[in-house]
Amino acid sequence: MTPVGPLFQANGVTKRFGGFTAVSGVDLTLGTGESVGVIGPNGAGKSTLLGLIVGSLRADAGTLELEGRDMSRLSLPDRVQGGIARAAQIPQTFARLTVRENLRLPAVFGARLHGAEASDWVDEVLTLTGLTDHAGAVAGELGLLSRKRLELAKAVAARPRLLLLDEIAAGLTQHEIETMIGLVKSLRSDRAIVWVEHIPFALRETCERLVVLDKGEKILDGAFATVWEDERLQSVYMGVADHAAA
Amino acid sequence: MTPRAFSAGLLILGGALAAWSAMRLDPGSLYLLSEVVVIMILAQMWNLLAGYAGQISLGHQLFVGLGGYALFLAANNTGVPIWIWLALAPVLAGALAIPLGMVVFHLKHAYFAVGMWVAAEIVAALVLKWSWTGGSAGLILRPGGESMTSNPERVIFFGLAFGLVALVVALRAFLASDTGLALLGMRDNPQAAEASGVNVRRMHLLVFVISAMGCAAAGAAYYVNALYISPSDAFQMNWLIAMMFVTVIGGLGTLTGPILGTVLFIAIREVMTNAGYSGGTYWIVIGALAVVVLLVAPRGLWPAIQDLTDYTKRKAFR
Repeated sequence: MTPVGPLFQANGVTKRFGGFTAVSGVDLTLGTGESVGVIGPNGAGKSTLLGLIVGSLRADAGTLELEGRDMSRLSLPDRVQGGIARAAQIPQTFARLTVRENLRLPAVFGARLHGAEASDWVDEVLTLTGLTDHAGAVAGELGLLSRKRLELAKAVAARPRLLLLDEIAAGLTQHEIETMIGLVKSLRSDRAIVWVEHIPFALRETCERLVVLDKGEKILDGAFATVWEDERLQSVYMGVADHAAA
Repeated sequence: MTPRAFSAGLLILGGALAAWSAMRLDPGSLYLLSEVVVIMILAQMWNLLAGYAGQISLGHQLFVGLGGYALFLAANNTGVPIWIWLALAPVLAGALAIPLGMVVFHLKHAYFAVGMWVAAEIVAALVLKWSWTGGSAGLILRPGGESMTSNPERVIFFGLAFGLVALVVALRAFLASDTGLALLGMRDNPQAAEASGVNVRRMHLLVFVISAMGCAAAGAAYYVNALYISPSDAFQMNWLIAMMFVTVIGGLGTLTGPILGTVLFIAIREVMTNAGYSGGTYWIVIGALAVVVLLVAPRGLWPAIQDLTDYTKRKAFR
């Protein structure tokens, strides 16, 4: 059974904090196997947008659909079970549990696997994310790269159809970033990925499409190379248009 | 030894010890030991909610009183044997805990703690004022309207002691299950648990209901032994203080901690009372002990002992 229409569709997603509009009427459509990079200056609403999609934040307006199912009113755990997972900017790991136990939780409660089926899937995710050697280690004692990998592995273990990555490469060395890029590439085939990151070459390597957010609004969305060359992108980052007028 | 064999062994050994004690010991000792076991069960239940689910309740005396009153009212007004009501009292408390939990879990942290306290005070005040609950005079246990013909302490002690062993075995199995893992994950990081698909609210409610049922069962058994119940006794803050004290001293978030804490608590109380210190003097010593333990070993005595034995083991290998 092939689903008709896109895998994921967001329409007019809006979030206000008091009088400040953090995300304003953003539309986003994704197909299976598609990877989209999201860039924009600090405060553009990138992380907020991911929070609204995964459900850790409640949208004030707009709708979200995954595989034709309305996700707008679902709670965070229900959306995770429904096929959306996010690797957070600051690793949200279970400090006193082992790496294996950290992954068993999303495998059981997110992907709804049981018993040996869940164990096999956890082993697979451990191999995929290069954490096999750390499987028995307590998460609180891991280094930064391992904790970032574990955060990504937890999101993958929930078997999402839509995987949201929030600055998973930030703070890593060049070599470590390349490891992360390899990892993301290996995950692309049967899901959609939205990757928020400040590191252009990481997105260029993994995403065929690029979205630019500025002041909560989506100002560009298209093929990576086209958007990258667009002068509006330059003005957002250089502040040419705004500051020239001021 | 497999965990299953260990559990079975613990159950058989605990059951045998409980049965032997119930048959051989004198009624006075059994009454005291019953109280010890009651506090161990209460502490284990409070610990499940506070130490594992991270929800500090200041109102768990509510469930002790509810269990006791449910049993007395049901037994006195019907001809059904009290053993059946002993089994049903926790079910009733659990059923009441569901709507209560749905309300109080809207409150967070300190507000939850105080909200539970308020709930307990409201119920205590109602029981005190209503005439059908016996008012401030309380109730005497008269199953089917007739006086008790024999003292129940032997059967009650066996039930309580075996219940405690079964409870510890069940909690061990629970914590080793996937649901238990979710609880441990929530303790570490509730946001991450939600992001893993765990319904944290539902888990909190589940643990809340279990702890309410356990407290009600222990409370019902305790007051059957006492043959008399009154609002000022059944809903008293001292139940809560005992649960909290023994758990925090023994080790919050461990299964052995509450057991160890209860032994200390009762030992101090009995030694001081026998030495002639009157009334509540022992609370001063217990309070001082709590302060010292929290300063020296903030995680409680049992984790401190574990660290110590780990340390000596490591030294021995060097």
